Amino acid sequence: MSTALIGLKALLGGFAVVGFSLIGQAGHPKRFAGLFSAAPSVALASLAMAVIAKGASATLPYAQGMLIGSAGMVAYGLVSLVLINRLHALVGSILAWLAWFAVAGGLYLVVGG
Amino acid sequence: MDGRQLRDDDLEPVGFDWSKLRKASPPELLIRFVFGGGIALVAAISGSVFGPRFGGLFLAFPAVLPATLTLIEKKEGTTKAWADASGGVLGAIGLAAFAFTALQLLRANPVAALALALLAWLLVSGGLYFLSRKTGLFLWQDKLLTKSR
Repeated sequence: MSTALIGLKALLGGFAVVGFSLIGQAGHPKRFAGLFSAAPSVALASLAMAVIAKGASATLPYAQGMLIGSAGMVAYGLVSLVLINRLHALVGSILAWLAWFAVAGGLYLVVGG
Repeated sequence: MDGRQLRDDDLEPVGFDWSKLRKASPPELLIRFVFGGGIALVAAISGSVFGPRFGGLFLAFPAVLPATLTLIEKKEGTTKAWADASGGVLGAIGLAAFAFTALQLLRANPVAALALALLAWLLVSGGLYFLSRKTGLFLWQDKLLTKSR
């Protein structure tokens, strides 16, 4: 993959995250706004760039990996609810990454590798 | 965690208050841009080194959430940050719908696949939100949290 393509993916990913986070910031109530915290911002930008640069067939494995990653994201969300309640937002939401690594990594090793 | 505050928030009508965007400070947006761009970079590089399926994992990594939730906690308190994270769980289920739809349709028509995948995310996460709201699931949860205090 060329450096330019990687850079472009990062740039578009960053803009997509800012775009969705602004929608979330305007949204209410907070639980509804929270939907946009888990919007497919980076995924949309990266998959679109992959399709343009490499074609649809080469993009499929990225979507397969994402499906596994999204199981980790659900686990992350559930664990973060417990941890934020006990440890506050910063520590709780970072420690909950362990749940993502356990579920996404475990599933990847079992079905995706 | 304040169950009553959560209930009051849940009773608010659903909508968008675009005037809130005036409060969005450039440093906060920059933090989100850096974390979002950073995880896209991780996905692209790890996909290049270890294979695209491995890189794809990071397209559903919660890289920006710690920054978002910390900013919400700082401005509006832990209860509001928790509420945002709880919506994030529904959004995450929608992410799986996004990936599944893209996977099914990419080969047939990539542009339509990504557009429909985004629609699938919106319908699944929004649908779960409104279902939980209409059935009183959120208010039941708020009541449990109020009692547990």
